[in-house]
Amino acid sequence: MTCERFEELLSAYLEGELSAAEGREMEAHAATCSSCAELLSFLRETQGALRGFPEVEPSQALMAKLYAIPEKKRFFKPVFDFLLRPDLQPVFATFSVLFIALSFVFFLPQGRGIQKAINRQIHLGYSQVEKLYAKAGSVTDELGSFKNTVVDSFKALSPSKGQEDKK
Amino acid sequence: MDLNTIVRECLEGRQGAWETLMNTYAKKVFNLAYQFSGSRQEAEDRTQEIFLKLYNSLAKFDFQKNFTAWLLTLAKNHLIDEYRKTKWEKTQRDDFDERVLAQGSLSGPEESLVQKETRALIWDGLNQLSPEMRMAVILRDLQGRSYEEMAEILGLPLGTVKSRVNRARIALAEVLKEKRGELS
Repeated sequence: MTCERFEELLSAYLEGELSAAEGREMEAHAATCSSCAELLSFLRETQGALRGFPEVEPSQALMAKLYAIPEKKRFFKPVFDFLLRPDLQPVFATFSVLFIALSFVFFLPQGRGIQKAINRQIHLGYSQVEKLYAKAGSVTDELGSFKNTVVDSFKALSPSKGQEDKK
Repeated sequence: MDLNTIVRECLEGRQGAWETLMNTYAKKVFNLAYQFSGSRQEAEDRTQEIFLKLYNSLAKFDFQKNFTAWLLTLAKNHLIDEYRKTKWEKTQRDDFDERVLAQGSLSGPEESLVQKETRALIWDGLNQLSPEMRMAVILRDLQGRSYEEMAEILGLPLGTVKSRVNRARIALAEVLKEKRGELS
């Protein structure tokens, strides 16, 4: 038997799981190999010491905390329960989509492109409005001058009336 | 009362069911945490966290399975995860209480002294094992679990569990040999 094989079978040997023939082989190896015999002796001592460790009692304070776990959970549950109502789910879904869209705009490098595009559209819209306003202004002016022209024409068309007035 | 009945009653919120579950398992889980971490304070914190996790996941328990093995798997996973996160190996284990060390069937004062010293060395030596090896040796030699139960708790084949326990014991024996060498 090799030392490696001896080590592999150590626990099985100590727990009496080996066959009689294997057990005799182990003993024969330990009789000729001092390091394996020493390991066996230390292992026996280790196992003995491990088995002798008694169980420790948990403190009263710990037991009180453990008993209180359901109470604690019950206390916190109603406070946040309203958030779990099914009718709030569409609201959460809408906010989630909105936040995801906003995060694309504000945090991603590509988002700056989106931001620029939005700005461009806003400026375009603004300039369109300005142009419309300017056109509207010019139309008002034109209407004013048209009105004056019409008034002058009427005045020019009725000279006799003007003479009668003089008389 | 049957364990499955207690668990069902806990799920229904029946008065006293959770207390019964605590009386059955608190000591086992606390000792597992204490033996694994080596610190009483750490063990108290971990035990609370484990039972909080248990309370939250109790509804997921499969009644076809063994509840004790399921709880110990949860405890084992939590202890090893927390160990990896906080690296307890850097912290010292508590000095093992001498009154506890002196307990057990001893034949005389001389043997008592040797056993006391061995237990103290082994207790400190547990920190030199990897978390997996430490857990294996604790479950087998300190908690007295069968290899079959351990295979269920650790989620490993029986052969792997046996070989891990053997390697852990040899490592601990080597630590004892080394520490004895340092002392003499």
